[in-house]
Amino acid sequence: MPVTIRAPNLPTPQDALQRADASDEDMSDDDLPTAASGTSIVTPGETITSDPQWMRGHGTYVPPSTTTIVSTVAGHLHKTNKLLSVQALRARYSPEIGDLVVGRIVSVGTKKWSVDIAAPMLASLPLSAINLPGGILRRRTAVDELNIRTFFSEGDLLVAEVQSLHQDNTASLHTRSLKYGKLRNGLFTSLSGAGGGVLSRRGGVVRSKRQTFTLNTAAGEVDVVLGVNGYIFISAHAAKTGSGTADGKDVGITRLEEAVSETLYSSQNDDMTPAIMGEITRVSTLIRGLAAAGRRVDEDVIVKVYEGAVELEAEEKSLGIKGGEKGVGAVGVVEAVLERLELGG
Amino acid sequence: MPREVEISIIEREFIQNALQEGIRRDGREFDAFRPLELNFGDEYGVADVQLGKTRVIVRISVDVVAPPPERKFDGVFQIVTEFSPMASPAFEVGRPTDAEVILSRVLEKAIRRSNALDTESLCIIAGLKCFALRADVHIVDHDGGLIDASCIAVMAALQHFRRPDVIVEGEKATVLSTRERDPIPLSILHQPLSVTFSYYEEGNLFLVDADLAEEQVRQGEIIITMNRHGEICQVNKYGGAPVEPLDLLNLNNVALQKVKDISKFIQQKLDEDAKKRDAGGLMAELSAENAR
Amino acid sequence: MTTAGKIVNNEIHLQSIHHQQTQPHQLHPPEHSDGEPETKKQEMPLDTSTYSLALLRLDGRRWNELRRIHAQINTQAAADGSSYLEMGNTKVLCTVTGPAEGRQAGQRGAKDNEAKVEVEIGFAGFSGLERRKRKSDKRTLEMQHTLSTAYSSLLLTHLYPHSTITLTLHILSQDGSMLAACINASTLALIDAGIPMSDYLVACTAASSATTSDSDNSDPLLDLNNLEEQELPFLTVGTLGRSDKVSVLICESRVRMERMESMLAVGIDGCKRMREILDGVVKEYGKRFS
Repeated sequence: MPVTIRAPNLPTPQDALQRADASDEDMSDDDLPTAASGTSIVTPGETITSDPQWMRGHGTYVPPSTTTIVSTVAGHLHKTNKLLSVQALRARYSPEIGDLVVGRIVSVGTKKWSVDIAAPMLASLPLSAINLPGGILRRRTAVDELNIRTFFSEGDLLVAEVQSLHQDNTASLHTRSLKYGKLRNGLFTSLSGAGGGVLSRRGGVVRSKRQTFTLNTAAGEVDVVLGVNGYIFISAHAAKTGSGTADGKDVGITRLEEAVSETLYSSQNDDMTPAIMGEITRVSTLIRGLAAAGRRVDEDVIVKVYEGAVELEAEEKSLGIKGGEKGVGAVGVVEAVLERLELGG
Repeated sequence: MPREVEISIIEREFIQNALQEGIRRDGREFDAFRPLELNFGDEYGVADVQLGKTRVIVRISVDVVAPPPERKFDGVFQIVTEFSPMASPAFEVGRPTDAEVILSRVLEKAIRRSNALDTESLCIIAGLKCFALRADVHIVDHDGGLIDASCIAVMAALQHFRRPDVIVEGEKATVLSTRERDPIPLSILHQPLSVTFSYYEEGNLFLVDADLAEEQVRQGEIIITMNRHGEICQVNKYGGAPVEPLDLLNLNNVALQKVKDISKFIQQKLDEDAKKRDAGGLMAELSAENAR
Repeated sequence: MTTAGKIVNNEIHLQSIHHQQTQPHQLHPPEHSDGEPETKKQEMPLDTSTYSLALLRLDGRRWNELRRIHAQINTQAAADGSSYLEMGNTKVLCTVTGPAEGRQAGQRGAKDNEAKVEVEIGFAGFSGLERRKRKSDKRTLEMQHTLSTAYSSLLLTHLYPHSTITLTLHILSQDGSMLAACINASTLALIDAGIPMSDYLVACTAASSATTSDSDNSDPLLDLNNLEEQELPFLTVGTLGRSDKVSVLICESRVRMERMESMLAVGIDGCKRMREILDGVVKEYGKRFS
């Protein structure tokens, strides 16, 4: 085996990294709404407790004719009152009503679309659950059925909300709000296995108040849509004619304006400057880095990391350091940024 | 693709509850085979096995071919299984199901790989000529226990089969017809037989020779192939609910007993058949006397 | 081990006894006794002659030693779960897709309220000693069937009705204990995918060093490499983690039934150690998320 001897690292950043990690750990523990049992994980087949007072939750099972609760996945143990559940480190997204998800159309049926939302089964989006163009709330007609592909066709990306769940956990989606609908002018990123689970997790996208937000960059505003299912879409900010989502208020469906509905199902990208494309890719890379580093992905963190990354780049440029010195790839950048943030405050 | 019809939940529960009470669907003991019948055809090497409603016919045929270059001193022996739609509507010709693959694999391992047949004795002239033996397994009726029945049928047919004699003179070999010289039996080194155990109740309850309905309800199967000398030729437990290792070892003993019984049964049938054939025999044929 | 080209005349012949057609045909190590006559013994004790002297196996292990095991989890970013496992020189890569919608929407799992487990095993062209294209032969199909049935009952499939869990295994290098390596790799990958299972399913192989001729002097051997697999009767045993319960048991060679007990005991013991090793890998991986 070839042995390579690396140049000795500077001691200070190395230590700082460790310190940063340690302090971050404490912080994230405090952040947890429930008391997690230490830092170690439980693995499948591990007995959690044989005390019958506990109730079994997700990720556990009770072998027949016993009272012991055994873990079925590798992950962290959570206690909610008397309920024991284990949150897998990584698992497929399991849909819940009200989730904001980003999805991709897999197939088009006569009256509905099948949408990949990274769940065990494809979700369905009935024709009746989308906003039909025309500005007013109207009944869907046979013409709409014939023109189903003009709304969404195979491969199209969309943001939607989980409206209901069927018995076998397949989800039905709806896009009946201006917040939802077709996605364009941007970049799709998937964080595999980082979708929201039953409990708040330490890494990946979590359910929060704001899943969509606008980021101010040097090149202009960038919209970020964090799907709870781990699918993320980052696009150039669309200047809406009406009072859009920017102020956080929903627009009543009745007030939908003609102008909006025209662009609602457009499959054409608007013109974008290279600078904004650059910023979009930067945000996407940082988000992937966050997920790879096992961090939580939400608005606060993304804003912080983005600002840090821009600063870092400017600094490196002025000092003439080649990038990639601190680490490789997205994770490296994210860790470097986080390290600086810890140092700064 | 046609699929085997699923058994209903009610039937499933009925069978399970009855088993808990110690009763099988057809009133058998847990460790009893269904009534086994074995008939030989007029020709050598045709065996017809009936195990309850399951029926398997095996026919052995022989041909002279050049041996494959990497095994010059051996004859060729292959077992061909076919699930015909006649046995069950779930079977389809030309598309092997999982069950078919498993059956042919198990037979392969149980009989071919364990050297039940001495393939060297099939060699006529090393590297030039050898006998190619082929056992065609036909599933004629399917009611569970295919592996056990097929294994019995193949072994019985092999023991029943007679191959034509040959005279070798240097590089020249002459195959003699059965008229010219009595055909000779194959050299069988040992008789592997399979016993399939189906288990229920999380591996606490074992059945021998489950029928189709019982097979559909079972939590798993263990196929043990051994000969009557207590040599295991193969054991297969493809997943299913886990069982205690001690139970597995106990099953070996049960299997041995069953294998001994079946071996004896096959031998008895072979003897009967031989006697029947001998009554006529070549001498009787040659004699001038006739029934007139 | 030197494989100086001492292929005796009868070597080819002996080989043909041992090898089954489906197995890749390989060079044997030299016979210790060159003039071994053309016996029809089932097992030719190539290694036992040295084994009985030093109680060391061909690769220098003791009877109950596992080979070096190296395992990684979460190796492929695109998959729902993935793992890489080395048991000595047997190297397996495994990815899990799913639970996801089945390939054909119409043809769903066998039982409608459970997920279906599909297994695909591929061999790399360079995995064996001889480069050859291995189509999916019956041996591979049997392995796929074994994995599929074993995991169907191990995983809590009722949590994912109508969906399909696909295990894709790629064998990069073959050196014995193939099925065991596939099982261990699959277990890791399924854990990585976060699919609930009742316990680790771990497997290893065990053999009996005895040949039919000398029954007294026999030791059970643990975790076989390819050469040992060719020569000795062996079995693959898969157990449920810490319990002794046997989920998978495959024995393909002729062996006295009395030997079964010791082989099984050693195999189960090996599985327990295997579980600890794999558990260590998972826990180590989990530290990243603490």
